[in-house]
Amino acid sequence: MSMSAADAAARSSQLSSPVGGGRRKPVAVRRRRLGETPAAWLLIIPVLILFSITVIYPLIETIRLSFFDIKGLGKPKFIGSGNYIKLFTDPAFRNTLWTTLMFTLGTTTITVSLGWFLAMLCSFAPQRTLPFRVMIFAAFGISEAVSGYMWISMLRPDQAGLLNSVIGLFSPGFAHPWLGDPNTALWMIIVAASWSGVGLPLMLCFAAVQAIPKTVLEAAYMDGAKPFAIMRFIMVPLSMPGVRVAIFINLLGALRAFDIIYVLTGGGPVRSTETVGYFMYRESMTQFKLGYGAAATVILLVAVMVISIPAIIQRTAGAK
Amino acid sequence: MIGRVPNWIVWVVGIIACIWVIPIIGIVVTSVRPPADVTLGWWRLDNIRFTLDAWMRVWDEYPLANAFWTTLWITLIGTGATMLLTPAAAYAFHFLKFPFRRTILVIIINAFVLPVQVVVIPLFQLWRDTGLIDNILAVLIPYVGLSFAWSIFLVKNFMEDFPKELIEAGKIDGCGPLATFWFVVLPNSLSAIFAVGILQFLWCWNSLLLPMLYLRTTIPLPVLLTRVSGTYDLNWDLRSVAAIVTTIVPLFVFLIFQRQFAAGSQTRTGAKE
Amino acid sequence: MIKFKGVLGRRALLSGIAAAAMLVMGGAAIAQDISGELAILQWQGGVDAEMWKKLEADFVAQHPGVTVRELAITAQGDARGGIRTAILGGEKVDIIINTWPAFRKELADAGILRGLDDQWSALGLDTTLTQSWRDLGVSDGVSYGVPYTYGDRSGIWYKTSQLKDAGVEVPKTWDEFLAAIKTLKAAGYDTPIPMPGKYWAHGEWFESLLLRTGGVEAAAKLAAHEIPWTDDVVKTTLRKYAELLNAGCCGTPEQMFAGDWDLSADQIFKANTGNFLLLGMWMNARAKGEYGLTEGVDYSLFQFPALGLGHDDTSSVDAKELLATSNGENPAAADAFLTYIVSPEATKILAEYGYASPSSNADTALLGPVQQQATAAVAASKVQFVLGDLLPGDLVDEYRVQLQKFLQDPSDANIDAVTAAIEAKAAESY
Repeated sequence: MSMSAADAAARSSQLSSPVGGGRRKPVAVRRRRLGETPAAWLLIIPVLILFSITVIYPLIETIRLSFFDIKGLGKPKFIGSGNYIKLFTDPAFRNTLWTTLMFTLGTTTITVSLGWFLAMLCSFAPQRTLPFRVMIFAAFGISEAVSGYMWISMLRPDQAGLLNSVIGLFSPGFAHPWLGDPNTALWMIIVAASWSGVGLPLMLCFAAVQAIPKTVLEAAYMDGAKPFAIMRFIMVPLSMPGVRVAIFINLLGALRAFDIIYVLTGGGPVRSTETVGYFMYRESMTQFKLGYGAAATVILLVAVMVISIPAIIQRTAGAK
Repeated sequence: MIGRVPNWIVWVVGIIACIWVIPIIGIVVTSVRPPADVTLGWWRLDNIRFTLDAWMRVWDEYPLANAFWTTLWITLIGTGATMLLTPAAAYAFHFLKFPFRRTILVIIINAFVLPVQVVVIPLFQLWRDTGLIDNILAVLIPYVGLSFAWSIFLVKNFMEDFPKELIEAGKIDGCGPLATFWFVVLPNSLSAIFAVGILQFLWCWNSLLLPMLYLRTTIPLPVLLTRVSGTYDLNWDLRSVAAIVTTIVPLFVFLIFQRQFAAGSQTRTGAKE
Repeated sequence: MIKFKGVLGRRALLSGIAAAAMLVMGGAAIAQDISGELAILQWQGGVDAEMWKKLEADFVAQHPGVTVRELAITAQGDARGGIRTAILGGEKVDIIINTWPAFRKELADAGILRGLDDQWSALGLDTTLTQSWRDLGVSDGVSYGVPYTYGDRSGIWYKTSQLKDAGVEVPKTWDEFLAAIKTLKAAGYDTPIPMPGKYWAHGEWFESLLLRTGGVEAAAKLAAHEIPWTDDVVKTTLRKYAELLNAGCCGTPEQMFAGDWDLSADQIFKANTGNFLLLGMWMNARAKGEYGLTEGVDYSLFQFPALGLGHDDTSSVDAKELLATSNGENPAAADAFLTYIVSPEATKILAEYGYASPSSNADTALLGPVQQQATAAVAASKVQFVLGDLLPGDLVDEYRVQLQKFLQDPSDANIDAVTAAIEAKAAESY
């Protein structure tokens, strides 16, 4: 990231206050100083232990299972790479890849851009927009099983549906089966998922914008900058860390999306809304083909790793 | 807050928020109208009657109060643990040099893609062998363990813009890595930590799959609420009440925590003088 | 796979009266012996969960030495995922409630179930359940399941006033049915059958049509994959289904895919835009509870119209059963519970919740008029379990998706494509 003038100002302003505390106290600590490596291990050991139990161990189990053919409660049968070969020839699985891409890009674009935009607007008047932020955030807190039901009733295919009756005001008798038409079903799911998801980027980006020193913004105001100019030249570049996190959490959340799809379309019509996350759930929990579901999970993991490792390595390299 | 705020900004946000809240209004309305009146949609005005029947029934028929406390208890511990452990690890990954740093980080962050369903069965067997089924640890450990992927990413990302000068200043003052963390990094990362807190609180609070499978006698709200609807009796009025009861607490937490963002930025501004 | 056929005769009713008396005494005798904890795996929510609490309490009242532990599985979507997780995790129970014959076979193959052939008569089940009900609970030649409730799945629900106003008689034959659809369309109903094609309910029409086309034998063979899906009987069935679609019964495929059965029910009973719904008996509870209609007056049901292909005496049914486990710790209490579930006391509780019991101890007079009509229809039919619950998991999914494709294009060419696709999946599923 390039260092702008505002960025530098941000840093210098952060410098002063907390260090005051930092300067006085360490005197007592000075006696015993841990080297970097032992200190680091000390700090991450609890994380590593919990992580190993809840992620590494199940992950190894998953990889092991992916080499077995398991049908329900039946005896697992070792089939080597059979599940993987089958997956790549399974049209239902290949179909999910495209749907996942659309769903992931769609929800992430809508939630992050809208959340970011709202966050910047809100930060012009944090107090006055607080109730609005709570309203938008509330959507994020409601379980998708319940909000999904609301969407179903609003998207009813007959003229009684809310969306249909609103459109019906302008074009009488309008009735479109939003969730039954393969051309609109996925979009409706994207809308519903974005609806509940926008609270997250809103919150993260708002925090990021709030972290911009007021002095920088005040200075821009003195220079007569309009709100959009402030957003474009100060808020956008300086809230990037928050946006990055929002994109990351949204992307990966979208890959795992299940509830909202299950409630709104059940993966249909004719599998047109099945994502990889839904596929994994269907194979491993509903049909209990644990081996097959595990293989799908492993493929997804590998794909995500291939995409994210360069980014993470680059970031960690740049940080030092 | 910043100079003059044009009114249209508040209007734009307000209008979007009002559109956003429509489905939530739907849930509230569904909870106070007789089910027969809202079959074709909660917005219908052809027969307007209100009833608190669903609110009473849900309270009578289901041990909501118990479940409420169980949820609160589990969520608080789960959130607290993540808020403590995450910044420590994020600090170590970002500022300290140690072997396998990158490898471990890549593994942890990629774990976010792991669906909970994958964890379910191996952990179930582990908890059985260790006798932890029906113990809140059976859900607490995965709540915390599974949160690291995103929470460490979030906090570490925040730390990337952390001024190096502060760390250097700490070092000159004789701070070891631990002291630097405690006295310099931690106090300056509060807004990221609170963001983690809000998210973790929300996810622990709404978590369904793990407690559904691991807890038997003391069950949290979402599990109880899943039982409100039968296989064929959908009970949307009861479920709406349940959804409202479940959502209110995270909203308060959001209200409380979001002040931390504002507070954090204000101290920074004040420090300019 | 499971094969069953049979005529539900009235023999059961005759022999049942004598058996009832014996059972009460027999039950009392067992009561002295059993004690300890009885673990029941229960996965139903809402009113059904409430009913189970009541049944368990009643059982404990009769057997004070026993305590019941309900291993409650909270289900989201398909309950089998949760049940399997619990079992794979090592949970041990004495009784499992089950409604999927395919799942019973899966449990039996995993060695979890206890065959009941040896005890069947000792438990008095031979006098309370007819042979055909016993056959419903058989997997691979062994009796495992004790059915405690069942429902008609070949009944078509309708709103009486709609048919009366349109001057339509309750259709008895397929031609009358098609004519009724025409009349109702003329009367302004765009979709006389609001087809619930979102998840699975569009398969109901296929399944009843299959029974009426090929009889229970063909359906059983198809479920066991002894005949291929490309068989003529399947194609003839789909062509009959196509007649319905071509008559304009259900609107566009998009409309059919838009909703599940509850939406279809809303359209018939609330919005008055549709007329017929082929669905199980749980529709009864919704009609009364959600719409406030009076059973048998405002709404009713008729059996699937006769096709005239020689199999019009068939009905599709669903059932719930109890399975005893081989690894449970209290088989004696489990046996007592199996006897209890078909006792007069239990069937009375079931009836209170609107569930018909196959037991000869059940008093059908306790059921509502529409329920009585449905039970009578089942009693007079050769029955076959719902096909969707008999098929292996991955096949049933493909079957439903391919039927959706059929709804999109009910042409002969597409019927060939659809049946070939299901057959391809079936080839690897068994």
